Amino acid sequence: MKKTLMFMVVLCGLLILSLVACSNAEEANVDQEKTNTEEEGKEVSESEQDQERILTIAIPNDIYSFDIHDHNQIDTEAVHINIFSYLLTRQTDMEVEPDLLESYEPVDDVTWAMSLKEGITFHNGDPLTAEDVKFTLERVANDDTLQEHGRLKVIKEVKILNDYEFEIITDGAQPTLMNLLSRIGSGILPKNYIEENGWDHFLSNPIGTGPFKFVEWRRDDRIILEPYENYFEGRVQGIDQVVFRVIPEVSTRINELLTGGVDIVTDLTPDDMQRINAQEGVSAVSAPSQRVGFLGLHHGEEHPTSDPKVREAIELAIDNEAITKQILLGEATPTRTRITPGNFGAHPRLYNTYLYDPNRAKQLLEEAGYGDGLELTLTLADNHYLKANEINEVIASMLAQVGIDVNIQFVDWSRFLELRNAGDYGQMYFAVYGNSIFDSSIGLQEFASNVGWDRASYRNEEVTELWEQALNNMNFDEREEQYQRIQEIVAEERPKIYLYHQNEVYGVSDDVIFTPRTDSMLVIKDMRMQ
Amino acid sequence: MTYIIKKLFQIIPVLFIISFVVFIFVNVSGDPVVLMLPEDASNEEIKAMQESLGLDKPVIVQYGLFLSNVMKGQFGQSFVYKQEALPIVLERLPATFELMIAAIIISILISIPLGVLSAIKRNTFIDLFISGTSVLGKAMPNFWLGLMLMLVFSVYLQILPVSSRGSLLHLVLPAITTGTAMAAELTRMLRSQMLDVLHQDYMRTARSKGLSHFSVVYKHGLRNSLLPVITLIALNISTLVGGALVTEVVFAWPGIGQLVISAVHARDMAVVQACIFVIAIFVIGANFLADILYRVVDPRIKYR
Repeated sequence: MKKTLMFMVVLCGLLILSLVACSNAEEANVDQEKTNTEEEGKEVSESEQDQERILTIAIPNDIYSFDIHDHNQIDTEAVHINIFSYLLTRQTDMEVEPDLLESYEPVDDVTWAMSLKEGITFHNGDPLTAEDVKFTLERVANDDTLQEHGRLKVIKEVKILNDYEFEIITDGAQPTLMNLLSRIGSGILPKNYIEENGWDHFLSNPIGTGPFKFVEWRRDDRIILEPYENYFEGRVQGIDQVVFRVIPEVSTRINELLTGGVDIVTDLTPDDMQRINAQEGVSAVSAPSQRVGFLGLHHGEEHPTSDPKVREAIELAIDNEAITKQILLGEATPTRTRITPGNFGAHPRLYNTYLYDPNRAKQLLEEAGYGDGLELTLTLADNHYLKANEINEVIASMLAQVGIDVNIQFVDWSRFLELRNAGDYGQMYFAVYGNSIFDSSIGLQEFASNVGWDRASYRNEEVTELWEQALNNMNFDEREEQYQRIQEIVAEERPKIYLYHQNEVYGVSDDVIFTPRTDSMLVIKDMRMQ
Repeated sequence: MTYIIKKLFQIIPVLFIISFVVFIFVNVSGDPVVLMLPEDASNEEIKAMQESLGLDKPVIVQYGLFLSNVMKGQFGQSFVYKQEALPIVLERLPATFELMIAAIIISILISIPLGVLSAIKRNTFIDLFISGTSVLGKAMPNFWLGLMLMLVFSVYLQILPVSSRGSLLHLVLPAITTGTAMAAELTRMLRSQMLDVLHQDYMRTARSKGLSHFSVVYKHGLRNSLLPVITLIALNISTLVGGALVTEVVFAWPGIGQLVISAVHARDMAVVQACIFVIAIFVIGANFLADILYRVVDPRIKYR
């Protein structure tokens, strides 16, 4: 039996040894780690701070990959945008300006002549040429297995004129082309580098023409970038390294900010703002996002919501301001449309307004024959959107006050999508949609296509006609009017009842100057460390 | 030797059943394509993507294809990472392994003194306190415990880092969080084992020989109570893996736990399967090791 004790001691010893070995190997492997750990600790000596200025940003999800054409994640693009430059880019005020482009002008309705700035290089030193543009845009336009294909298939061809000049030929007139070229999927890739080394090599060692070059990606842990010395606008000053740390749990992200482990924290809730603002040295900031919360209503004859009076009653029963003020603590604006300011086609009369009249709602229900009460089902993805569970419970109680008894059905996210796509959600579903194109075409598409019919039995010929005309209309004033008219019809017929336009909340250390952007991008070159 | 070979062969059907169950459940629970495409993608776009990924085929056909790939050592491409799934999973193994070893060490370090003390001071205030604490330790959810430890030691006292993996200091809080439940169980197990042993004849003999109290309790008593501890540790490996899933998310620990959770959310089948496969091998391996150790520790045990 003496063996047993000996054995336990030896086992413990071995376990400890292997643990130390594990940690040592880790430390030896990655020199960077040491710097990061020091950065995370409180005591970084002054001289070290002078040497290395590391900006650390905590994000909730890891990036998907470095394939810019095969994801539709804002979180992923927020990191990519620092490595890959676009032909055009959105400035902080969301105006689209040329980035890699020197000039661009329409030749005719389907042709854009463009020229690149000269002297731009990829992180490996290769010059950027029109060949790279052709390679990048035609890849996504032709390969239908890529997730961004659906958006960028409008590009028919990229015709090279010389090293720096090219023409983009679109499939029909495309008024949104400039929007498409300044978002996900339009970062320019290095043709030669990819063809010589293969995709797998590119995905693990990506290069672009952006202000930061890739150093390391440890999945679900961190992405490390460093300034590119030969960036065409000049090396980013005052920052020596950028670390994106993946921290899924929101409380952990906040704790890291409070203890100085990270400088910027994304994806916070309005409730977190008070705790952050209460501490010195950090503050919470917010900015309007592109996300709009709404109720989708089923127009199928079998549902009571096919009656316009019932739909109007639902909208009148909901006090949008109570939701934006009490639940979202002022970090949202009531809206009656998905096209919010800053997006092409925004309707000023439908924004920052709402209808609320519970008495009229009761009256309408009575007129519709539901004076004795009405039972409806509301489906939502459990805890998927910001405070959605609370918001929907409040909506249910508001509806109860006018005599509508709501059964809330909480389901898993992917189940929710299936129910929504099949139109099996009952009478109502709740969701929050974004819009990365900053144009009405995407936001209003569902009412003009099969999507509206498949999911809600909604169809309106006028809407379809207006939307189709606007899609290829190069007369921008007329196009804006067409989109605004669609929004008026939607607000009247209520295939959806829009509720609020949500703000994005960030936590920031006082050592960093950071202005949150409406497109949720984390553009490091616009940030400053003090 | 025949025993070992027999054991190894038993693993194959277990893995087969696990893979089937996981495949069916993940498939039934949702479609990866609706998650991949934008929120307002049309049903036509969804269908096109399903076809291009081969997800329009019946589940059983998909499973057949998956199995034939596994035979070739491939779990398939991750929908999310666009890379072979197995290397992605293996890359995370050291982090999870490190966390689990640390959790085991911590639970042993906590439970041995407490378990013995509790048995010696049976039915005293100390015993009640230790027993009470271990019930609490077992009952506390990892998630809550992790956040509380973080608040106290990282945010208020600022003596330990909040999250991430790196130095040994980074390991302390996640290891305590993961190891507490097991420590509680081991403490209670040791207490009852020690109580049994303390009443044995040889203990009385040892005492009557005039041996010191320490020598009686630790050399004679503890040594004879340790055998079940090995079994308990091995049996608890699966619980530890479960606990590590939660701990890894709370402490942003880049191990298999975080990966499996994000893969399940994205219905990234290849990665889920590869994760489950690796975890299953790990747990089966641990149990297998316990069987062997048992025999090494107590030669009276024979396997046929």
